[in-house]
Amino acid sequence: MTFVGHLFVRFLLIAGLAFALGACAGAGVPLAGQLAGVAIESPTQKPSFTLTDTDGHAFDFSEETAGRLTFLYFGYTNCPDICPVHLAQLKEVFDRLPDVRRNSTVVFVTVDPERDSPEVIRSFLDAFRVDFVGLTGSLQELETAQIAAGVPKALREGSGDDYTMGHAGQVLVYAPDGLGYSVYPFGTRQSDWMHDLPILLQRTGS
Amino acid sequence: MSISWWCTAISEPWSWAFRAYPGVWLTVAALAGTYLWSVRRNRAVESHSRRQTIFFMAGVAVFWLASDWPLGTLGAGYLASAHMVQYILYVLVAAPLLWLGTPEWMARRVLAATGIYRTGRSLRRFPLVMGVTFNATLVLSHTPIAVDALRASQFGSFAMDAIWLLSGLALWAPIVGSVSEFRERSYPARMVYLFFASGIVTIIPASFLTFAKLPLYQTYELAPRVFGLTAIDDQQIAGLIMKLATVPIVWPVLAAMMYRWATSEQASA
Repeated sequence: MTFVGHLFVRFLLIAGLAFALGACAGAGVPLAGQLAGVAIESPTQKPSFTLTDTDGHAFDFSEETAGRLTFLYFGYTNCPDICPVHLAQLKEVFDRLPDVRRNSTVVFVTVDPERDSPEVIRSFLDAFRVDFVGLTGSLQELETAQIAAGVPKALREGSGDDYTMGHAGQVLVYAPDGLGYSVYPFGTRQSDWMHDLPILLQRTGS
Repeated sequence: MSISWWCTAISEPWSWAFRAYPGVWLTVAALAGTYLWSVRRNRAVESHSRRQTIFFMAGVAVFWLASDWPLGTLGAGYLASAHMVQYILYVLVAAPLLWLGTPEWMARRVLAATGIYRTGRSLRRFPLVMGVTFNATLVLSHTPIAVDALRASQFGSFAMDAIWLLSGLALWAPIVGSVSEFRERSYPARMVYLFFASGIVTIIPASFLTFAKLPLYQTYELAPRVFGLTAIDDQQIAGLIMKLATVPIVWPVLAAMMYRWATSEQASA
């Protein structure tokens, strides 16, 4: 190989390495200071659990949402305030960010399986977007999912048919690289979502 | 039944279940009761017409409608558009009706007792000051920081409603105010004043609401959605209400003044 040929091969190797490093840059690196959401110091791994979707099929959370911007929220359909507002906010933000919407999966996990049948969950979610995924399971399975996601277990408050559920109020968001960089508590404005989602969508980790 | 003193932002989903606001009822009763008591007490010595009573009571009724359930509840915590309807009712409907219903002697006594008369007399350009006061209140009271701070508490919500009504009284004082020396004398001057005072500055906040790409008010953005309206649609409707409400209310008044001016010119010719 000539001297020029050596140089060319070296150039290709360096350029390839630089490209690979550039593409991976950012994966797993905290985004504190760059996000409007509550940043997580050490990005968390997307949890693994399997529940049942509203069609009655098994839904492996980490597998089904792999490579997508994923929103995980534990709530219940009789929730008077936080749950419907979070979902309405996401729906309205998605309406304005079609690219984010196409690459996202919103997963709503009920913490009230007693009242939230698959049909009830479906009807509740369809009021926002028909592609929002609703999951349910046994109490044990739902508790396992909450533990896996690192949120406190939901607790029943009150008695009779009119009880409420005390549950985690934040939306957990996982970038396409499978890591959670920030969480979004109740009170997150649409401006915050609009700012953060395009940034998170770039975290592909490839 | 849920009871609270004055309408304020609440986090419950909207329902048509009746909510009681005794503070609103007491204010309405105090306004109407004081008026009727004063008229009755002074009827032997002061002039007063039945028409004035009707105007005043209509003004009180509009104030009640704007402040109480359901509009008050929706406006305080659910819909920016309902909030704007409240504003329009206070400023463009209740305020002029209250002025039209207030006999001059009553207005003089109230304004003298509160020190407003002396302040008003000391102003060289009373209409200009009223116009600026109204528009400054309009702009400041519709900033997100003011709306979100005031709507969060019953007292704040009451203060906002009261400020709106008072700013409406300021706007209309040079047009239909009961004190003759505070009114603009000529019809052209009144028309110019009303046109500029009520219709120009309004366009600024109305445009912000109509054309903003994101919801401006946290209160309404984070409220449970009502009637299927998104936060941004609701805000745009609020902006349109603010921008267009002057058309059916102020323009007929301008037309009526124009007619009266023409009639008076004909009579004097």
